[in-house]
Amino acid sequence: MKLSMHLFATIAATAFGLSACDYDGYEPNDPARLVPRTVDEDQTLPSINVNGTQLHAETFGDPQNPILLVLHGGPGSDYRSLLNCKAFADRGYFVVFYDQRGSGLSQRHPKSFYTLKTHEDDVGAVIRYYRRSPAQKVFLLGHSWGGMLATAYVNSYPTVVNGLIIGEAGGFVWKDVEDYVSRSRDFGLLSEALNNATYVDQFFTGRMNQHQILDYKFALLTSSDGAKDSPVGNEWSLPFWRNGAVVFDALYNLGEKQQPDWTTNLAQFRVRVLFVYSQNNRAYGEAHARRVSGAFPNVQLERINDAGHDMLSFPRGFANFFPLALTYLNGLR
Amino acid sequence: MMNKVAFTMLSVLGIATVGRAQNINWRAFGTGPASTISVNAGLDYGVAFGVAYGRRVSSRVPIVLGADYSFPAGDKVTDDFKVRSGLQIEVVRAGPFSATVKAAGLFRRFENTQALLQNFGSEFAGVAGYYTRRWFVAGEVTFDKAIVTHVKHLKEATDLNPGLVSGWYIPTGGNLLTGVQTGVTLGRTDFTFKVGQAVSQDFRSRPLIPFYMQFSYGIRF
Repeated sequence: MKLSMHLFATIAATAFGLSACDYDGYEPNDPARLVPRTVDEDQTLPSINVNGTQLHAETFGDPQNPILLVLHGGPGSDYRSLLNCKAFADRGYFVVFYDQRGSGLSQRHPKSFYTLKTHEDDVGAVIRYYRRSPAQKVFLLGHSWGGMLATAYVNSYPTVVNGLIIGEAGGFVWKDVEDYVSRSRDFGLLSEALNNATYVDQFFTGRMNQHQILDYKFALLTSSDGAKDSPVGNEWSLPFWRNGAVVFDALYNLGEKQQPDWTTNLAQFRVRVLFVYSQNNRAYGEAHARRVSGAFPNVQLERINDAGHDMLSFPRGFANFFPLALTYLNGLR
Repeated sequence: MMNKVAFTMLSVLGIATVGRAQNINWRAFGTGPASTISVNAGLDYGVAFGVAYGRRVSSRVPIVLGADYSFPAGDKVTDDFKVRSGLQIEVVRAGPFSATVKAAGLFRRFENTQALLQNFGSEFAGVAGYYTRRWFVAGEVTFDKAIVTHVKHLKEATDLNPGLVSGWYIPTGGNLLTGVQTGVTLGRTDFTFKVGQAVSQDFRSRPLIPFYMQFSYGIRF
């Protein structure tokens, strides 16, 4: 007993010493090593200050033209994967991109700072920031979570926007969102994609205020969407700057808690909506697209062939999407 | 910096003379064959499979040294894995009751399209329970510490964000695992099962798979 206790004490002391040593390797939560700097950390990045936050934002085209405001997915992703939409600038639209608060290269905030309503308010604030006159038309293009956010905004303010394009929004009532998310995460128990997502939890752990660590882990996790065994059907991994883990966690938790319904006022939005879904996303499909898009009184439902969930981000999908969207927008301008 | 990182790696390997290995029925393993080898499958931050070896060393106190290797499921078998070696000591024996401490050093590797991670860590556990020659049941608490991780950002990541910095990152994390283990001994064969939950070292967040589980089949020789 005496010897065993001595051995244990030695091992425990060694372990404690190792854990307590003041090492000078890189601190994983320092900025710009595991994930890039955000607009508040790098003043050279293009940004706007609206609604009490600093957003990474860029525009393309003539500011007098009708606005096409692009809303990225996630929550927590960024607009880098949607930059194909710059092509609308050459066709007479003022294309506005921004990383939603806490997402991409936009300023981070504590988890308690994020609400679904604040995200909705940011959409209005960005429109007001760029709109030159009440006569300037405004169109929203929302992909995935961005489509949910666009719909939430239209549900609250049905007279502000002149047209709406939505790509594979998970749902406008929380049950549909949960159903879709569940199917989209169905990698298969023995798949490389699932284990690539979960195995990293033993390498890095971070507290909720250690944004860089959490964002880095989230980046490693979301790259699984590009895996061949992912049901969402993308060609490869999406380009991105930074995935905001904290804002994702905050908004998803709020969704679970509040069970939002963004369809309550959509009957007042009489404008035709272009709703697109992809051919290769096994987790979405026509049936889900019909159920979700059915919340709008006037909808044009289209399938984008040769594309997965992120159909706007890859060449084949965007080539099939662009003419449809352009025809839709030109019909409303 | 490198000297300290090297010191960490050597220290981890040093304390890890050999193995955490497998779940042991101390009453069955106390006499007879001194070695055991087992295969296992379960959930260990993903679906994982492994093999483990343990050997009881001559000592006035029951000490088992051992090592194990495990890997998660997936198309690529060699890109992610964990090797662990260490010792376990029965520190308390009172009739059928037994308490054991385990210490292990470990090395683990993870690779996807974005990064190659190589980690040196440690694992410390306490196990206490009721043991007979035929069966046992025990509770266990384990702290799995990721001490130092080398991050190599791969081309897909550096093409997207050229400013990312590859190198050693310290410290990188830890998880606390609490659970139960049980087993049945038939002759020289052991069937064991353990299950439990995991929480990160901040005691608030949890891994994506917040529990672990392992079935093991072992023989003593």
